Amino acid sequence: MDRAGKLVERTIARNLKGLDFLTMPPAKVGLTPKEVLYERGTLRLYHYLPQADELYRVPILLVMATTNKAYVFDLAPGQSMVEYLLKEGFDVYVIDWEPPLPEERSLSLADYTQDFIPTCVQMVIDDSGEPDLSIVGYCMGGVLSLIYAASHTDGPLKNLVCLTTPVNWAEMGLTRIWSDEKHFDVDRLVDTLGVVPQDFVQASFEMLRPAQKSASQIRVWEKMWDDEFVKSYRAFDRWGNETLPLAGEYFRDTTKELMWANKLYKGNLVVNGKTAKLSDIKVPIMAAMAEHDHIVAYKASKPLMDLVGSEDKEEIVLKGGHVSLIAGPNAVRRMWPKLAEWLGERSV
Amino acid sequence: MADKQTDPAETFAKLVSDWERNFDSMANKIMGTDEFSQSMNQFQNLQLAMQKRFNEAMAQHLLNLNMPSRDDILRLGESIRSVEKRLASIEATLAKKKKKKTDKGGGKKPPRTKLPPSMRSKQRHE
Repeated sequence: MDRAGKLVERTIARNLKGLDFLTMPPAKVGLTPKEVLYERGTLRLYHYLPQADELYRVPILLVMATTNKAYVFDLAPGQSMVEYLLKEGFDVYVIDWEPPLPEERSLSLADYTQDFIPTCVQMVIDDSGEPDLSIVGYCMGGVLSLIYAASHTDGPLKNLVCLTTPVNWAEMGLTRIWSDEKHFDVDRLVDTLGVVPQDFVQASFEMLRPAQKSASQIRVWEKMWDDEFVKSYRAFDRWGNETLPLAGEYFRDTTKELMWANKLYKGNLVVNGKTAKLSDIKVPIMAAMAEHDHIVAYKASKPLMDLVGSEDKEEIVLKGGHVSLIAGPNAVRRMWPKLAEWLGERSV
Repeated sequence: MADKQTDPAETFAKLVSDWERNFDSMANKIMGTDEFSQSMNQFQNLQLAMQKRFNEAMAQHLLNLNMPSRDDILRLGESIRSVEKRLASIEATLAKKKKKKTDKGGGKKPPRTKLPPSMRSKQRHE
């Protein structure tokens, strides 16, 4: 077909599909079959039903960032890290978060790392019947996993994977500048609001790339004829708009202990009376970073490998951004196979 | 090759990408200054101060009307949360016991015997 014909065809398709696009219900996400294993307040622990005839011995626990929903691990069939891992023969559990309620304002960093994660780890151990497990943490979920690992060195953790996980918070770019203690009164914010609202969290992400939303909308209009592109856009768009509010004390802890004092990086973080030194982590560890990550800059996650005490450690740096690392085309081609290969070797 | 260069859809896509990159870069430069951070936080502090005043006034009204304030309700919620936590732990213990019974009944699960490709090929050679 000549170029003019193709243009006309796409214009017609764009107009017809554009109307559907505006009236469609939200994209269906998180379709891989799962069961709720445990729920308490903001915390959810899911177990995905195995999809292979034979499983690796060691189960995997994915820990989602507290700012977003975990269905980014399971956006759509064929675009799902969970589905990929299940088909590769892993037994997969996921920690997800619901928006914390006003009465959960007092949940702190200690609650997440010394109560929620250990409870879920125990649930996975009990459910799988295995004595150990691998943890895969994404973004802030990686930070929580690192703090858990560093403060539970005699626990059942066998392998640890950190995906786009900030360690040196001094390198957090604009986020660090905006939340500088000179201007940002975190106590006033938390004491007044209790739970940090969803709008605030979402705005702080969107301000990092202010033109991104408009440019994406223009792009999807232009590509309205391409069903696969639209399907993927709708799933990502829904996920991006479902940012979660944050429990106030947790936000205060994160700001003061991690962002301002940079204690995880400096090795003097104490949570609930327990020291969380990265050098105490000795289990095999892999870190995956994105070259063009605008949320967690490469420089912020880079020092992890030098700080942990593990002998078996590997770092991979992939092209792409913060989200495409785990759910974009590059994730499908490179990150997921690498993750499955690395974990497979250590899951017998 | 020449066709590709003059494809209007591609030209438009490139235009959008360039605009996005340039706009973000310019905005990030402005937003990365100390002055921007200061004014943004000042505005936020003003909003929070207004909200705090409003919260206090509303709490006083509710007190005068002999009604529970938001803080009272939240405290109630917090104590329910601690009951919920205990309940969850009891439920988890019960679920564990129930699971043990089911497992004894022979619930079918795939065997955990999978080996990575490197070990499988090693085994085959042996």
